[in-house]
Amino acid sequence: MASIGRRTGIIVTVLIGTWGTVGCSGSSANTPPPATAAKVAEDDDVAAGLLEHHRFHHHGGVTLLIAMSLDTLGISPEHKAAVEKIRTDLHARMEPARSAEQKLVNTLSEGLAAGNIDAAGVDAAVAEVTAAATAVHDASAEAVNELHALLTPPERAALVDKVEAHWAVWQKANSLKADPEHGHLATLAKELGLTQDQVDKVRASLDERLKAVPQLDSQEIAAHLRAFGDAFRSEKFDSKVLTTANGANSHLAGWGAARLAHFVQALSPVLTPDQRTKFAQRLREHAAYNPNDRGES
Amino acid sequence: MSYIIRTNLFRKTACIFALVTSVVVTAGCAMEAGASFPGVAVESYPPDGYVATTEPVYYEGRATYWYGGNWYYRDGNRWSHYDREPPALQQRRVQAAPVRRSYGPAATRRPMANAAGRPQERARRER
Repeated sequence: MASIGRRTGIIVTVLIGTWGTVGCSGSSANTPPPATAAKVAEDDDVAAGLLEHHRFHHHGGVTLLIAMSLDTLGISPEHKAAVEKIRTDLHARMEPARSAEQKLVNTLSEGLAAGNIDAAGVDAAVAEVTAAATAVHDASAEAVNELHALLTPPERAALVDKVEAHWAVWQKANSLKADPEHGHLATLAKELGLTQDQVDKVRASLDERLKAVPQLDSQEIAAHLRAFGDAFRSEKFDSKVLTTANGANSHLAGWGAARLAHFVQALSPVLTPDQRTKFAQRLREHAAYNPNDRGES
Repeated sequence: MSYIIRTNLFRKTACIFALVTSVVVTAGCAMEAGASFPGVAVESYPPDGYVATTEPVYYEGRATYWYGGNWYYRDGNRWSHYDREPPALQQRRVQAAPVRRSYGPAATRRPMANAAGRPQERARRER
């Protein structure tokens, strides 16, 4: 009898243990589903589109990154209209720089299509982009202050995260290191059907051309982003006291414009007429870029 | 030691082990099912291209991103995610897919799936 009692005790104990464990698993019903093999972001169209955008558009420097971050801030409905107004205002303040960039890209497009790029005209257009970008911060400081006043602390933090994310993508998009998968030349080689010989010639020409261009001081821009991020996350903020902004904006926009110009100039003599026509069309599309055309999915 | 004594000792040990396991598992379960849904620091997180193009959902005072089957948020200088999906975020996810913004030239834009992709395994970054 004692043996039966002990066995019953063991069975009851084990059952209780099993019930506890099973019950616990049941309470995890809202555990997220496992990761699907949807898409790695770098391979998805949205991420690829952003890379492409940052290769062709630099005009507002960091201010452009701030304005773009507003596109997906996901703000509360009651603040949406006010933030949209500030976003539109920021783009309006950057308009002289955007216009200068448009002139540059059109010059490149026309020269490419004709098989003869006006080097002096391109240099002048790059200088115009740089000069216009230098004025962007002062022109937009008040709008950025209004934005800070409007956003909640979590929204401010999210904006800073997005600006930093855009900067990371921008650096990748404009990297001078050869990236056989996501690099600018590699992407274009796939789109235009460049041969390996064409790719090698463009790479050699581009490396030679870029020797004459001052290196991008990413530390200068990163330092400005840190200063902006720390200030914007805090309760009190005044964009006008960010002394690093003008240098960062002109540096980012000027270097980006120069890199694009040299890239197209290195490509031009190597492309076939058909490839030239195709790439010139792509440049025209970028020249017609309208920041208010919202491509939401 | 006789066979009977050994058997009794084994049964007692099994009994105690089962009881302790039950108590520990149940207690752990009760703690986990609390309201806080603790987050965990992670080595993987949404790529920059995803953060830059996707609307977050604000929850518990922070921007969270549904990505690769988890809700991620910035925790100081690193990313964390909820190890168990908070009901409010689950409800939000079921109601609507994350809103994304496409920046390619208009002519090259294609309809995008809203499904979030896999997180990339990368070294934890400090900013």
